[in-house]
Amino acid sequence: MNFDAVKNTLIEEAKKAGLKEYEVYFMESEGISTETLKGEISSFSSEVSGGVCFRCIVDEKMGRAATELFTEEEMKALVARAINNAKFIEKDDKAVIYAGAEHYETPKLPPIPEDSAATLKTRSLELLDDTIKQSEYIAESSQTGATRARVRMELMNSHGLHLSNEVGASLSFVQAVVEKDGESQYGIAMAKGLDGTEVADMPRKATEEALSKIGAEEIPSGKYDVIIDGERMRSLLSAFCSVFSGRQANLGLSLLRGKEGEQIAAPCVTLVDDPLYEGSPMQTGFDGEGVATYTKKVIENGVLNTLLYDIASAHKVDRESTGNGQRGGYTSDVGIAPYHFYIKGGELSEDELLSRMGDGLYITELKGLHAGANAVTGDFSIESFGFRVRDGKKCEAVRSFTIAGNFFELLKNIEALSDEVKFSIATSFTVFGSPDVLVRGMSVAGT
Amino acid sequence: MLNKELLCEVLGVAMSSGGDFAEVYGEHTRSNSIAFVDGKIDEISDNVISGVGVRVFLGERTVYASTSDISREGLLACARSAADALGEGSAPISICLNRREVIDIHPVRINPITTQLPTRIDILKSACFAARERSDLISQVSGRLMSVEHEILVANTEGLLVGDTHTRTRIAVSAVASENGENQSGSASPGRGMGLEMFEFISPEETGKKAAEQAIVNLRADYCKAGQMTVAIENGFGGVIFHEACGHSLEATQVGVGMSEMCGKLGQKIANEKVTAIDDGTIAGAWGSVNIDDEGNPTQRNVLIENGVLKGYMIDRLGSRRMGMPMTGNSRRQNYAFEPTSRMTNTFIDNGPDKNEDIIASIEYGLYAKQMGGGSVNPLTGAFNFAVTEGYMVRNGKICEPVRGASLIGTGSKILQDIDMVGQNLATGQGMCGSSSGSIPTDVGQPLIRVKKITVGGR
Repeated sequence: MNFDAVKNTLIEEAKKAGLKEYEVYFMESEGISTETLKGEISSFSSEVSGGVCFRCIVDEKMGRAATELFTEEEMKALVARAINNAKFIEKDDKAVIYAGAEHYETPKLPPIPEDSAATLKTRSLELLDDTIKQSEYIAESSQTGATRARVRMELMNSHGLHLSNEVGASLSFVQAVVEKDGESQYGIAMAKGLDGTEVADMPRKATEEALSKIGAEEIPSGKYDVIIDGERMRSLLSAFCSVFSGRQANLGLSLLRGKEGEQIAAPCVTLVDDPLYEGSPMQTGFDGEGVATYTKKVIENGVLNTLLYDIASAHKVDRESTGNGQRGGYTSDVGIAPYHFYIKGGELSEDELLSRMGDGLYITELKGLHAGANAVTGDFSIESFGFRVRDGKKCEAVRSFTIAGNFFELLKNIEALSDEVKFSIATSFTVFGSPDVLVRGMSVAGT
Repeated sequence: MLNKELLCEVLGVAMSSGGDFAEVYGEHTRSNSIAFVDGKIDEISDNVISGVGVRVFLGERTVYASTSDISREGLLACARSAADALGEGSAPISICLNRREVIDIHPVRINPITTQLPTRIDILKSACFAARERSDLISQVSGRLMSVEHEILVANTEGLLVGDTHTRTRIAVSAVASENGENQSGSASPGRGMGLEMFEFISPEETGKKAAEQAIVNLRADYCKAGQMTVAIENGFGGVIFHEACGHSLEATQVGVGMSEMCGKLGQKIANEKVTAIDDGTIAGAWGSVNIDDEGNPTQRNVLIENGVLKGYMIDRLGSRRMGMPMTGNSRRQNYAFEPTSRMTNTFIDNGPDKNEDIIASIEYGLYAKQMGGGSVNPLTGAFNFAVTEGYMVRNGKICEPVRGASLIGTGSKILQDIDMVGQNLATGQGMCGSSSGSIPTDVGQPLIRVKKITVGGR
């Protein structure tokens, strides 16, 4: 059964069951990836998948069911399951199948990459060659790889709304492993695309990172001024992302509840959510409920302008959806998530930021954020790696310590930011970004 | 749908470009999850995952292709894309599949997927209401009852044809306690490789109460002090320390490519002699158990460390080729879209010689980590971390005031030597372990243990 046949069967079944409001959400994806090891392609994978989610309103409650099995019998069962599930929902959130917006922005998407398996293999091997040439200490367990993927989604409902989007991207990575002085370390570099200066620079970047970690020392516990590298600050932002969810706030699970309009961060902090970030391969003009997306400043000069809402959470507090009701795929319910979610850059170069700090730590790795960060309380205590900074200069590597604090306090204590925003690779439509940030007096547990 | 003839045809196409081994993995999974929040049933998630993965080997190289299109054309296209990626040439082969029966050591009595929703909703509600009723300080309770019925089939060019159905059930309750504008959280989430009969000996009410009590303890707790100290880690989910500090470093995924600090250490003393560690996928009804792994091999009991000496690794088919050692029934994957690799099942430190009361009594100043959260590890260096979700200071051999916000960090090889007391109350805890082949259910476990010195992250 193809999607058109699936769609028609579902609509027919919905009508037969007497449903007035329903929605069909379809997603299909296709991708290939390669990895190298010991001078050859060690693995290759290709994936084709597709599935459909059916949602319907029964007695003002929303029911949902999803499947990857495209048979007529399964489609009939899908509608029946969604109807049955709706009967047991108790929440009083307003169930809405969205009728559609007057206007949707059309994203200016870059062309979807068409690279063949052969191209991916060649690029991976070239990157491995370049990596091996970087240093005499490169170990044979170093790996490189490349991936290309595309996703197409379609949303249609009983109000006649019919939206679709297709996005695609490729990326490549280098994991350089070095062995020196009886110690092993690794460095990772990842970049969008298979070509270009950023990709070509990955072998050097990953190898330098790995070598810089060799011989790292332990440090004593105490209070330190720290600069958190933008790549790590964006990970912290990701770990605490749910504090910006209107739904979590409504449930009392975010301490930002009721704080819209208040100063919640230092005046130098502006946090942007942009579904149409220029040049990005992951842009969308509509969210998982069909609501039009738009760019907004969630925090502006330290003041919380708005939380992120889907239809139901906005309705609870008499607001409009901010177009952040995203769907991770056909098996996920609508959940609140940002798009290109980034702290705006400041005015200092990285070197100027280091000079401003003087003495302290430059944090380049944070580990185990999924466990060591608690979004309900804002507390974090995280295994870290970094470098000593003396007189504004990056010095020896330091390891085996944690930094601990509270995310809400951290936002208020950001003293300065560097001018370059470092973005992550996209996970569905969500991308996090941050410049380097300077924070004074962070608790460090070491020796 | 996946009959013998079609499977043979798919394997034949997969091998057509010169592979030396091919395997087909078919999956049909029904999962159902009921969510409760704010006093009400919030959402019901109801999914069918269905697809096939085809893997072809040539020496230590593998290609993997997966598809959700399980029509004959879809399957053959999938096999062809795997064959094309491996190389050129043709090698017609004849395959004769022989079905192997599986001994079901985890029979399910009450199928959680086909049981009517009201029965399941009652179980979830009794857990969540028990949490809410525990104290007026509890401001929010959320809970989830998850059920999965995972039907798999494995066929390969060695003639193996085997299928199995694995069922699992888990309840998770999370409670928030609030006072003076401050929130603290607690959680409990037991699970088993069983149907709803799990609740005959795991009380939903006790699960809810446990989550609520942890949140209340944390509300009364001050921040944990930072620094190095002696730490006693309680049984059950405390075993996450072994999972992170050592378990991942013993998987062929890492060892087979030289990315583990445990490479080449077989037969060497790597841990304190009181430490014996086991990975056992055969424990009846356990969360991490399966009858057969995702390459079709029966799971087994693997002694990893015996009295401090490294005895074995956890090895899948690719790892077996890379390491020249036999497979151990540890090949696992989240679903058909993932190429399988060596993973843990139920992994635990066995009971030791020390009495639990002696362990606490031996600590002059330190931390008693009663409940642990998750963590992570860098298998290359062994550097690991994990979070303490309920902890208490210990002074002069007595458990004192609660502390919060602590994490423990260290290096696997060092921590194994520093586990200097091992108690006798072995119990397990359930987790979802994430790695290259996706998210899978694993049990961690241990009795109460003492680590003589470890860095405690706090402030």
